[in-house]
Amino acid sequence: MVENKKEKKESLFLKAIPYFDKYGILLLLLLMIIGLHLLQPEVFLSWRNVTNVFKQISWQSMLALGVFIVIVTAGIDLSVGSIMMLSLMVLAITSKAGAPWYVVVLIPLVIGMFCGMFNGLGITILRMPHPFIMTLGTLYIFRGTGNLISGGVPISGFTEEVRLLGNGRIDLTWLGLKESQYLPVSVVLIAVVFFLMWAFLNHTRTGKWIYAIGGNPNAARAAGINVNKILVIVYSLCGLLAGFGALILAGRADSGYPNAGLNAELDAIAACIIGGASFFGGRGTVLGVFAGVMIMGILRNGLNLNDVSAFWQQVLIGSIIVVAVYVDVLRKDLGTRK
Amino acid sequence: MNIMKKIGVFITSLFLVLSISATSSFADGHAKTILFSIKGPGSGNPFWASVEKGAKEEAKKLGVKLVLIAPPQEGDVQAQINQVEDQLAKGVDAMALAPGDPNAFGPIVDDAIKSGVPVVFVDTNGINDGVTFIGTNNKNGAELAAKFICDKTAKGSDVAILTGIESQSTALLRRDGAIKGFKDCGLNIVATQTAEWDTAKARSVTESILVKNPNIKAIFGSNDNMALGAIQALKDAGMKDVTVVGFDATPDAAKSILAGDMTATIAQFSYNMGAYGVKYALALAKGEKIDANIDTGTQLVTTKNANDFK
Repeated sequence: MVENKKEKKESLFLKAIPYFDKYGILLLLLLMIIGLHLLQPEVFLSWRNVTNVFKQISWQSMLALGVFIVIVTAGIDLSVGSIMMLSLMVLAITSKAGAPWYVVVLIPLVIGMFCGMFNGLGITILRMPHPFIMTLGTLYIFRGTGNLISGGVPISGFTEEVRLLGNGRIDLTWLGLKESQYLPVSVVLIAVVFFLMWAFLNHTRTGKWIYAIGGNPNAARAAGINVNKILVIVYSLCGLLAGFGALILAGRADSGYPNAGLNAELDAIAACIIGGASFFGGRGTVLGVFAGVMIMGILRNGLNLNDVSAFWQQVLIGSIIVVAVYVDVLRKDLGTRK
Repeated sequence: MNIMKKIGVFITSLFLVLSISATSSFADGHAKTILFSIKGPGSGNPFWASVEKGAKEEAKKLGVKLVLIAPPQEGDVQAQINQVEDQLAKGVDAMALAPGDPNAFGPIVDDAIKSGVPVVFVDTNGINDGVTFIGTNNKNGAELAAKFICDKTAKGSDVAILTGIESQSTALLRRDGAIKGFKDCGLNIVATQTAEWDTAKARSVTESILVKNPNIKAIFGSNDNMALGAIQALKDAGMKDVTVVGFDATPDAAKSILAGDMTATIAQFSYNMGAYGVKYALALAKGEKIDANIDTGTQLVTTKNANDFK
């Protein structure tokens, strides 16, 4: 009788595993939100603070999403922060030269994509032993180029059109809300870009191939997939997203500054790892990346609200990475025990 | 079951860390809360450490609650913006801000003022109209340096000025202050040339100035780096009795003064920036009126006090 009960409990637990696997990270996010709400009941869930969080993660989420698709192919892109900085500097210079706004808006996307393509071609054509090396090199190359063309000094002041994505507001007064309760354009952008990426990865052939390459590149080759072509596409896409990040940052900061995106590649990688992407490729979801970015954004915001030193944020984000991956290890243990 | 427990323990311990570090702090009903945002941590730059000290001591004296925040690295504008936004959402009575990038902070400062939080700029002036600037009056500082040189040299002597990047307001103010000081006491300015804040460029520029003007008696460098460059050129030319005065009081300049190379430099009172920032932000929070420009003062550094700046 007792035996039977235990078995039943055990099987229920086993049934819950896939859900935990899929939504566990969202559970952590929810717990954090509740915890911070209890610490700052007046402020944390206020309209202003919630929109602040989204504005703050807007450009980081673009970098994280780019790095994510690279990680799915079992690769890595260390240069995203530098790609963003270079795109931002070119944007600033173009804007200062008086180019029309649509050129200024398009140029970071083009530059970002070309930088990404440069990475992709280097990895495939030069046959670098690991993407780590190519993108470590371009981390320096792109940032150095950005400093060279700008002279290493900030270039400030963009037009409203250029600043729309990072600084635009969608008026919600027609819903009966106050004027201060606007919706930042960057929130809509995050939603659209993440949805498009989800659709691309899950519902197109190329998207499925990207997962296949990460899972087993040799099998993918044997199945007739042009691995090199897909890799170039993936790195270009990652660069394009970094270009988007530059455009958002331009709107937010109204300034192209040489320190933009410094160490941002590490934040992006951290968000992917927290969100459950595997370094060995082939595993991870767009929703997970979103949760990873949110966890980092909310943690920073929450610590700021509680007047905790910025140094603590570094310690805590590091701890979360280790804990999140350990939870993942435990999950794998369970899988083999079954 | 064991695994579930382990996961549970980990998540709990994570939140324990979070809650211990996040020592919740609530302002008591009476004290005003002043937000003070500086460009970088005091641990990384003695300048900010001294601003921090000034702000904390003044806040204690006035009995206000001070929230002093700095990004983890100097120059991390994005982190500074995030911190300020978060604190403004939480609600403060006034803000003293040293903007890492004046343009980037423009819209945030506008929003803050619109929502009823008065702002003062500290150290670096912003782009927003009608906001008080608390910082060094660079013109007065350069004039102080010029007057010091006047006392050291005979009337009518040849002097030269090395200026910074001339598109920057700091460079222009220091240049104008030095020119005014020299003219007031009847010194003969033979050259006013830019060396773009750079030591190596200052050396080349000084070398060519010396060729043309071998009787030069004093050189004012608009920053210490350029003054140090000028000293290299003077040493090379074997001219030891030329008075060289810099600006900023960097540790390198202090060492040079103690070694007998540089004659003097001008120090900014970063402590005052912290203290005045709190004082005047509080005044605004109480609805008082303050001046549009508040000088935190400058100080001459010579062999007598150079030890304090090493």
